[in-house]
Amino acid sequence: MLLINCPYCGERDQSEFTNGGEAHVARPKDPSQVSDREWSEYVFIRANPKGIYYERWVHTHGCRKWFNAVRNTSTDEILKVYKIGDPPPPIKEFKNTLKSPSGEPDVGSGNFTVKKI
Amino acid sequence: MIENKIYFKFDGKTFEGNEGDTIAAALLRNNVKLVGRSFKYHRPRGIYTCGIEEPNALVQIINEHNEPNVRATVKKIYEGMVVKSQNRWPSLKRDLGSINNLLSPIFSAGFYYKTFMGPKSFWKNVYEPLIRRTAGLGKPPKEFKSKSIHLQHNVDIVIVGGGLTGLLAAKKLAGTKYDVLLIERENSFGGILKSSKKIKLINDQDPNDWIEKTERLIHNSSNIKVLRNTLVNTYNFKDHLIALEDKSVGKPQDNKKPELVLHKIRTKQTILANGHIERFISFRNNDLPGVMLAASFEKYIYRYGVVPDESPVIFTNNSSTFSLIKSLIDLGHKPKAYVDIRDPKKIEKEVVELLAKNNIPFYAKSEIEGCDGKNEIKSVTIRFKKNETAKIKTSMLCVSGGFNPDIHLFTQSKGLLKWDENLITFKPDKIFQNTITLGSVSGNFSYQNIMKEINEKLSFLEGINDLDIKLDIEGPVNFHIKELWETKNAKKSLWSKSFIDLQNDVTTKDLKQAVTEGFNRIEHLKRFTTNSMGTDQGKISSINALGIVSKILKKNISDVGTTTYRPPYAPLNFSAIAGRSTYEFYDPVRKTPIHPWHIKHNAVFEDVGQWKRPWYYKKYTNETMHEAVQRESKQVREAAGILDGSTLGKIEIKGKDALAFINLIYTNSFTKMKPMTARYALMLGEDGMVKDDGIVCKINDQHFITTTTTGGAANVLAHMEEYAQTEWPDMNVYVNSITEQFATFNISGPKAKTIMERVFSNIDFNNKKFPFMTFNNFDYLNSKVRILRASFTGEQGYEIYISPKNALTLWERIFYYSRGINLVPYGTETMHLLRAEKGYIIVGQETDGTVTPIDLNLDWMIGKNKKDFIGKRSLIRSDIISSERKQLVGLIPLDKSYGIEEGQHIIEEKNLDTPIKKPIKMLGHVTSSYFSPTLNHCVAMALIKGGNRKIGSQLYVSTSDLNVIPVEVVKPNFIDPKNERLVS
Ligand SMILES: [Zn+2]
Repeated sequence: MLLINCPYCGERDQSEFTNGGEAHVARPKDPSQVSDREWSEYVFIRANPKGIYYERWVHTHGCRKWFNAVRNTSTDEILKVYKIGDPPPPIKEFKNTLKSPSGEPDVGSGNFTVKKI
Repeated sequence: MIENKIYFKFDGKTFEGNEGDTIAAALLRNNVKLVGRSFKYHRPRGIYTCGIEEPNALVQIINEHNEPNVRATVKKIYEGMVVKSQNRWPSLKRDLGSINNLLSPIFSAGFYYKTFMGPKSFWKNVYEPLIRRTAGLGKPPKEFKSKSIHLQHNVDIVIVGGGLTGLLAAKKLAGTKYDVLLIERENSFGGILKSSKKIKLINDQDPNDWIEKTERLIHNSSNIKVLRNTLVNTYNFKDHLIALEDKSVGKPQDNKKPELVLHKIRTKQTILANGHIERFISFRNNDLPGVMLAASFEKYIYRYGVVPDESPVIFTNNSSTFSLIKSLIDLGHKPKAYVDIRDPKKIEKEVVELLAKNNIPFYAKSEIEGCDGKNEIKSVTIRFKKNETAKIKTSMLCVSGGFNPDIHLFTQSKGLLKWDENLITFKPDKIFQNTITLGSVSGNFSYQNIMKEINEKLSFLEGINDLDIKLDIEGPVNFHIKELWETKNAKKSLWSKSFIDLQNDVTTKDLKQAVTEGFNRIEHLKRFTTNSMGTDQGKISSINALGIVSKILKKNISDVGTTTYRPPYAPLNFSAIAGRSTYEFYDPVRKTPIHPWHIKHNAVFEDVGQWKRPWYYKKYTNETMHEAVQRESKQVREAAGILDGSTLGKIEIKGKDALAFINLIYTNSFTKMKPMTARYALMLGEDGMVKDDGIVCKINDQHFITTTTTGGAANVLAHMEEYAQTEWPDMNVYVNSITEQFATFNISGPKAKTIMERVFSNIDFNNKKFPFMTFNNFDYLNSKVRILRASFTGEQGYEIYISPKNALTLWERIFYYSRGINLVPYGTETMHLLRAEKGYIIVGQETDGTVTPIDLNLDWMIGKNKKDFIGKRSLIRSDIISSERKQLVGLIPLDKSYGIEEGQHIIEEKNLDTPIKKPIKMLGHVTSSYFSPTLNHCVAMALIKGGNRKIGSQLYVSTSDLNVIPVEVVKPNFIDPKNERLVS
């Protein structure tokens, strides 16, 4: 279970939170002016990377505040939390973080808990 | 020490044990060796180990609601305990299932996948009953009410394991600023100190005295908390451990106290000091009762004072059995023979001298070829030169195949392993979390180095001092081992098997067969053979399997890799996971203030979310649901009815920008709406699909109250909060749930107005003064009521909102004032029927997340002039505006005596073939269907492709008895289509 640092309450168990998917997917200012394609990308299309991911969380069983987090989806480390409206931290800030917990290859999973030389 | 005698039953026979004995210890004390039958072949099995790693000795505890698969090597006895062996029929000694052993060719690797391929009917009638009776472990337990609880901990450091290493680590941390939790799975500390004679003295003291002193030190330090009888089962990210504490060790379960406690522990640093596990060796019939791991044998001597056998044969590939030999000699006994696979030059001189001095037959560079016996071991065959063997009579064989660091938790934490060529095992290499491994779990098998290791690895902590310790070690100081996984099998018969997984009855031959068949990846091989997939997860054998497979594949073990270690470390009860969340505590029950009245009036309740809502009221004892609903519905249309609508979600929206906000949340336009009026409103998702509906009451532009569906209340609130915070954070708007602040009654029917006039005599209900969809606040019963003229039945109706405190009084008064009017209380089923007659939708019944307002012909609710609202843009996407979408229509059976079933298909075919030969075009499905007592026939609603165009045509509805009935497609409004009754 992750330990999530709510920017308003501090560190709490993951069970108090709900994940809200990718962050910084802005709702078009004037939806009537965007094409079908642009609109459907806003509604349906989300990134699903292995690695650094900017995502939203809400402290459902706490302060009920939404906030953003930067999580490494392959290690589950939460590298940063910040409030809604704050600028997203640049990705280069996280370039030295672990690629994976157990030295797996970049693509795929499987068992690689034994060190490869 | 005075031993208290304890009497317990095993398979109907009473046995005497000592207080503190495990079931296994007590049975060994009574010379019982056969304790179970194996999973597939029903071979006799005995006690193989002295701990949690036990693969064989699983029993059922009859007096603990038949708890199955309990490890006899862990569970402690108490007075009156009733234990039964498992997987045998009719009795342990004469087991008819053991015929499976002779059928074993069909039970070989992959047999579940290969053998039972067909024919289909054989599965149900032959295979399944056969497998169910013969294969398997214990029988399911009886139902019982768990009293387990969960506890949370937040600490700085957790020490897993209270053996020598764990105690030394705790001693270092005693009195420091760190908040420490020390967890030991047994009921006493000491580990190896208590279960062997490997360490004679610590700081010149008897180990037991040292343990006692250290325990006292820990106890007196205010920063260390101790959990005993607690097994750490799971090591999650991020440094989150789950541990199970057994509260009823060595005593019957208390009916009033929790029997299990699940500890959820968040820590900053985890110290793994959880030791090692001895592994076995595969040879012919290595499963016979009487074969036991050597360190377990020694543990029985020191922990329980039981000598399982006075003269066992010892078989090893390493230096660890010295203390066992010494212990037997010190007790006046003597091993029958010592068999060591290692070269005589490599065997430690302490061992050689001890054997020589005591005239113990010594076979170096030799191995056990196999053992023989029927229900237990009678003899072993020693191969001492290439083809020379000797048979020795013995009733016990102690085996040591080396040791594995107990890496289970370490790998759960996603730490990396590496292969150690000297120790012939995997050991922790790279950590992923804040993990420190100490002692044998880190691959440090030399006691001499232990203090140095602890001092070094904990040196980063603040305010702790280096400790010094002096250990007097019995026998060889350094661990030495020679690789050996299996000895060559000389005898060929169906009885001769060399096992690699005792619990799942997997043989080394199965491994070879699986590789031959192409399963050369270890994860595939595991699933194909079921190796290490039992409840013990192959604790004493999984590394051996890797050794054997690597030899077949001619690869290094580190290239073969391990299978994935997954939590839990050992099986745990579902009741522990459930904790208090069982029965009435499983999910909170929400009741309205009128609940007691409903019960008194024989309401039958329906669960709507967590709410208990009256479904219908049984007026007479024999009244069926259909009769009750017909009666209630008719009475609402003829006189008046009252529904307890308190469960409806209510949300208050306030703020300078409340109007702008609500215009974005709902499809309707609220701008021109007058204060103190109400509107039926729809809420969409951004995909344009209907999400919820309700009534929006406008108090003024800065203050609204909305209702939601009963089940949707929490989601609607969350939806509003999300948009207010993330999309429009600059808006001044506050949303708040007020569902439980108001009880709500819906009164409707031709006499509703009369009743309202009688109850609220000071209010003017004149239809002109109190028109449809308006509301007002009034004083009543020293509190406020809000009355809204609205209806969900199509009859003239009123919704009353009142504080829950006064609600029941008002409800009863309404009935009091309705004398002579025939007011009927009705439930949700009648509500559904009445709204269906009017063609009103229920979100979740007429909609399923794929339905737009246009599909429902509710376009009139879309604020056409609004620039934006959630989902608006989606309503003009090409496939949303297609006229071929499914649209909501009404259905009436042509033959009025027929009923239409909900969920049935709408088709064009008049007749169906039996069996159906060609695909049938499905036009849609029936969403709601009721028998209308007012119209005296069935009315239904359906979503049909291009439904609007089909109004007036004839279609067919399938039935559950594979028939079709003809129906007419109509507009979904069956009663009072002009709404004269409603709006007047
Ligand atoms: Zn919070």
